[in-house]
Amino acid sequence: MLMNEMNHSPSRIYLQLEIDVIAIGLLILALCTRLYKLDEPRHIVFDELHYGRYVSLYTKGVFFFDAHPPLGKQLLYLAGSIAGYDGNFTFDRIGTPYTDNVPVKALRLVPAVSGSFLVLITYFLMLELSLHQWTAILAALLVLLENCFLAQSRFMLLESIQILFGLCGVYCIIKSTKRIGLTALVWLCAAAVLLGCCFSVKYSGLYTYYLSLFLVGRHIWLQLNQIKSGTRLLFSALWRFAVLLIIPLAVYVSVFYMHLSMLPKAGPHDSVMTSAFQASLQGGLASITHGQPLHVAHGSQITLRHTHGRTCWLHSHAHVYPVRYADGRGSSHQQQVTCYSFKDVNNWWIVKRPDQASLAVSRPPDAIRHGDIVQLLHGITSRALNSHDVAAAVSPQSQEVSCYIDYNVSMPAQNLWRVDIVNRDSEESTWDSIRSLVRLVHVDTGSGLRYSGRQLPAWGFHQHEIVADKVLSHQDTIWNVEEHRYTKADDRKERERELVTAEMIPTAVTQLTFWEKFTELQYKMIAHAPDAPHGHMFASEPAEWPLLVRSIAYWLSPDSNAQIHLIGNIVTWYTGTISVIVYSALLAIYSVRKRRACEDLPPFVLNKFYETGYTLFLGYWLHYLPYFFIDRTLFLHHYLPAYIFKILLLAYIVDHIYLVLQLHEKTRHVTNLFILCVTIWLSYIVLTFKKFSVLNYGNVDLKENDLMSLRWKDTWDFILHKKI
Amino acid sequence: MTHKLQGNVHESNLFQSKTTIWWITFSLLYGATFLTRYYKVLEPDHVCWDETHFGKMASWYINRTFFFDVHPPLGKMLIALSGKLSGYDGTFPFEKPGDKYDGARYQGMRLFCTTLGALVIPLTFLSIWEMTKSLEATFIGTLLLLCDVGFMTLNRYILLDPILLFFMSCSIYGCFKVSTLTNDGLLPFSPRMLSWQIFLGTSLACTMSVKFVGLFVVLFVGLRTVADLWNILGDLSKPVKFTITHLIVRTLTLIVWPFVLYVFFFWIHLTVLSKSGNGDGFYSSGFQARLEGNSLHNASAPRVLAYGALVTLKNHRTGGGYLHSHHHLYPAGVGARQQQITTYTHKDENNRWQIKPYNRERVEGTVVVRSGDLVRVTHAPTGRNLHSHRERAPLTAKHLQVTGYGEDGVGDANDVWKIVISGGKDGEEIQTVRSKLMLVHYLQACVLTTTGKQLPKWGYEQQEVSCNPNLRDKNALWNIEDNVFDDLPKVSFESYASGFLERFYESHAVMFQGNSGLKPKEGEVTSQPWQWPINYRGQFFSGSTHRIYLLGNPVVWWTNLAFLIIFFLVYIINSIKEKRAEAFGVSRQVGEGSLLLNAAGWTFIGWALHYIPFWAMGRVLYFHHYFPALVFSSMLTGILTEYLLSSVRSYLSPELGKTAYHCIIGVVISTTVYSFYLFSPLAYGMSGPLASEPNSTMAGLKWLESWEF
Repeated sequence: MLMNEMNHSPSRIYLQLEIDVIAIGLLILALCTRLYKLDEPRHIVFDELHYGRYVSLYTKGVFFFDAHPPLGKQLLYLAGSIAGYDGNFTFDRIGTPYTDNVPVKALRLVPAVSGSFLVLITYFLMLELSLHQWTAILAALLVLLENCFLAQSRFMLLESIQILFGLCGVYCIIKSTKRIGLTALVWLCAAAVLLGCCFSVKYSGLYTYYLSLFLVGRHIWLQLNQIKSGTRLLFSALWRFAVLLIIPLAVYVSVFYMHLSMLPKAGPHDSVMTSAFQASLQGGLASITHGQPLHVAHGSQITLRHTHGRTCWLHSHAHVYPVRYADGRGSSHQQQVTCYSFKDVNNWWIVKRPDQASLAVSRPPDAIRHGDIVQLLHGITSRALNSHDVAAAVSPQSQEVSCYIDYNVSMPAQNLWRVDIVNRDSEESTWDSIRSLVRLVHVDTGSGLRYSGRQLPAWGFHQHEIVADKVLSHQDTIWNVEEHRYTKADDRKERERELVTAEMIPTAVTQLTFWEKFTELQYKMIAHAPDAPHGHMFASEPAEWPLLVRSIAYWLSPDSNAQIHLIGNIVTWYTGTISVIVYSALLAIYSVRKRRACEDLPPFVLNKFYETGYTLFLGYWLHYLPYFFIDRTLFLHHYLPAYIFKILLLAYIVDHIYLVLQLHEKTRHVTNLFILCVTIWLSYIVLTFKKFSVLNYGNVDLKENDLMSLRWKDTWDFILHKKI
Repeated sequence: MTHKLQGNVHESNLFQSKTTIWWITFSLLYGATFLTRYYKVLEPDHVCWDETHFGKMASWYINRTFFFDVHPPLGKMLIALSGKLSGYDGTFPFEKPGDKYDGARYQGMRLFCTTLGALVIPLTFLSIWEMTKSLEATFIGTLLLLCDVGFMTLNRYILLDPILLFFMSCSIYGCFKVSTLTNDGLLPFSPRMLSWQIFLGTSLACTMSVKFVGLFVVLFVGLRTVADLWNILGDLSKPVKFTITHLIVRTLTLIVWPFVLYVFFFWIHLTVLSKSGNGDGFYSSGFQARLEGNSLHNASAPRVLAYGALVTLKNHRTGGGYLHSHHHLYPAGVGARQQQITTYTHKDENNRWQIKPYNRERVEGTVVVRSGDLVRVTHAPTGRNLHSHRERAPLTAKHLQVTGYGEDGVGDANDVWKIVISGGKDGEEIQTVRSKLMLVHYLQACVLTTTGKQLPKWGYEQQEVSCNPNLRDKNALWNIEDNVFDDLPKVSFESYASGFLERFYESHAVMFQGNSGLKPKEGEVTSQPWQWPINYRGQFFSGSTHRIYLLGNPVVWWTNLAFLIIFFLVYIINSIKEKRAEAFGVSRQVGEGSLLLNAAGWTFIGWALHYIPFWAMGRVLYFHHYFPALVFSSMLTGILTEYLLSSVRSYLSPELGKTAYHCIIGVVISTTVYSFYLFSPLAYGMSGPLASEPNSTMAGLKWLESWEF
């Protein structure tokens, strides 16, 4: 009856507003700190050098190669293009002033807004972990008042974007584990998208992804003894993992799809990629190779590029191997063959069938096929590529490769090579320029022509060594023809006319599919780990991070001592480190007590202790430990994703201690004391934040005394202009 | 009464026959081990593979000359000891693999290593038995290891690996023995418990002192010990004090005692190697002062540095040389064309420098140089001042060039350096050898350093010296070695010589630096961890006419690999089953297989501990690094085979089950032994054509394209 009445009552429109005042307040505070004078300093600050340069390249559509995934840079580009950036600014070095055409504010807005929302998401995440509202506020305040997050959010840097995506992802995961049915699915899908974005900004986002996988796995594990129906269980496990695997991967791939379609033009940064890849870009290799013949034939003039790894071309020059090497071994004293990293006229070789004398290309061209035996004549010196049982110059375990000179010393020429096309479709495949990956196998010894990776000494002009190696399967034995033309014989004009009518590369040949480009790019990104300079002045070791041993100088004003540093709020930083120790100690104590069947704490407190630990404590170590095994130059900002978990753990520990103190009647007055301590501690944090914020905004000229008063640890290096 | 008696008799008969079978199995495997290991052990009679290193080091121990190596000393000392006892005189040069021994008495050393390597097999037998008390599991696990050709090859030469594996197996055995005794409820101070724990501690110390990978077995034992203590703690019938006593005893026997032993081995090492040798240059001046025959030994010099003294400056980095200059200029195009400054590792007249105040040529009387003073440093033989200016260094773009400038000590303001004791206060006296000095350029605010990079021909391949604007450069420390000044009393260098603990510490610093310096070069083919379990590629031990190729028996290795995966699946399925049982209110059942599965779990942990860390290592890796993990992996296969077979058996009727069981066991044994027979030429030596050619004796056995035999 009642239902009916309700249905019949005239419908009214309700606007139900529920505002979390605290959340809004936190967000406003965060925006105020993060956006304050955002376009100052109008100079290139630290890694804006790189990211800014990439934004310019996106704007122009010029291909570039970077070891980090592209989403973060794309977001910066988006902001830039909305603000109308034209891409005409050269990011040459840190400290260069921006010209007026660079929308500094817009470019810095993306990280700054992300950094502000970071405060908000910590608040909601802590609430979602079913902690006290005060604890959530505390956590959010700690992030708000953390100088390192402030510094990292105010410039064109990617960490704040990555962390925001990561924490939002974790938040959605926790939401989804608490819900059932469709709601759970929606939350999980949201989480999957966010996590995909997270590791498409920086690969360290993968650690957040692993954490989420663990949380979902644990959720399923806990269901095992809850749900009786096996099929339901299996179904729930299957869809969860399917969502969590497929969606992030799809996000990742589509980000790369956009990346590649946004960058159609060739530029100075594509030399890392293979010839085929370069040829697929507009105006790059394609413009050189456009119109060159496809099939390598008897009489072809070619350059042979080393396909994988270092970019270099097979090369020879009119110099011979020294008679004796420094270590006393002898050589063949024949003409040197090297791998040279620059384009040069000495990189040209002529393909010749052993039984034909004329070098002219016949009509139709006598195409070389897989398995054919050829000779390679060096274009300038006309000597044939040769190998023999003499140890190579720098890699004595392999055979020397030379251009044969007949000294008449009963050392016959061994200059036949078998063409082995690695990526052939059939046994009859022709040798095509650019497309075919070939291995040149020495007929007499069965060794393959190989780039050894070592450099020759001064007598070889420090070019790279070429050897013939017994192990054929190595990828350094793979070559491809890059530039290619047919030899024009005696009667040049006539031949030329013939050449024009010969088969040309159809443009379709160099069209790589997205997947081919994607896999090549992935491979290069793994293989070409960035060679950051070792012994960078502000580099640091993972073991130094929890104690904030080093800071990073981001910028120094050219005309005053105003400067920007990445440095943490040392009070939060140290209490954070202590909180990790406290958590570990409590974990050990609680486990031992439980093992002895002593129940000190009510189960709900203990359960929450473990539950939070699984997210925050584990999250911290997952983001931190891997760096101990990374063999690269590392900086303090690599610690930030781990650090945010540590701050959350710190807030939780405060909450936990408070809860334990409250449990007992006797410790009531201690509780008050504890609250007082926390308040004092928090005001210290505020003071420190304020004191060090001059190093975030970089708007105050600091005197020597000011800097000395900020230098709380003598391992921190601030910069002073020299008095003249 | 009679009935009961009969039963007892029957039981004891059964027990007796079981013990007899045990002994028969054990001695069978024991005999087979020694037969296979000693067969042709002295062939080939030339230096094989790394024998060239360890043989050389044995000679150095016998001759007592000092050398540098990245491994701790125990293994090499044992090799040297066995050589010495068997009459090797330390004169064979061990120059390169393939050198004929020609009468040098290498036999003792090789037999010694082979014996230790062979003992691994019976020890493995005992370990598996200790874990499972199942003879079948023990037999299969041991047989797999016995029939692995690669394991045999590695254990038959003068290498550290057999010694390492021996001590490692001792540790594993000891660890499981202690664990069984703990489960039996033995008191912590009972003599049996104590002696086994001391045995375990000693084995651990020895493993660590042979190679640093011994650390993984220490971790393994650590985990096992924690698990034992956790079990003791869980026994609520015993007081907590009981656990604490256990903890204390284990700390003493498994941490303190091994550490003492480890230090003791180093003490022997440093005491035996008392003469100067080729390793001196890696160590500091104080260290060198201890070595007979070194120029610093028994030398004497003034204690402090005074103005006008002639000194040599040694760089503090590992293997760092002396500050050096010579009558040659930097070539055109490399900064300013002024005199070259380098570091040079050999002692030479051109290493001498004179310290002067920044503003005067001469000082009256004896004035001691103090930290914070401004000085000029003049190269004594050429009279040029140490100088730096705003030009890039020859090799390191971010550093400034350092040159020799001026004539007869007259230069310009860029010759002024501030001399500072690292970590000291201004005004401290600068001492010979002891003070770690930094030379900070007064005008450019950069610090004199060496980058360790070799200069090209024009610099005679000496090392680059530059001025680094980053004052935190770790290579910018120097110390004064020679100090010639007549007006100050001389002090014997004896007083500067490092004490034992300092030298112990320094040896470790140098070793770790050496280890992390073993980086693969660009383009070099190195072995990758993923290749190991699949037996992807081996390693030649000996070439030409008597070819020996270190490669695992593929049957054993691929079975092991399969069983690692099977274990993973079995474990997951089992845990899910257990957890599911709770949903239906069925309490956890302790099945018959749980002992086996538990043992399998521990061997899996052992395998993971000895394998996974290699993925994170940046240094050069080799195929033979996998062999410690292989021991665990073989154990796992043995145990899991038995587990699976008995599970299968429980589904079949007793009659059929028994038949099937014995058939499968028979097949496993015969396959393993036959595959050993097939691949044994890899270890005993092959001659003739390569296996890729049809007329080779090994034709048809090249199952993978990547095998090179």
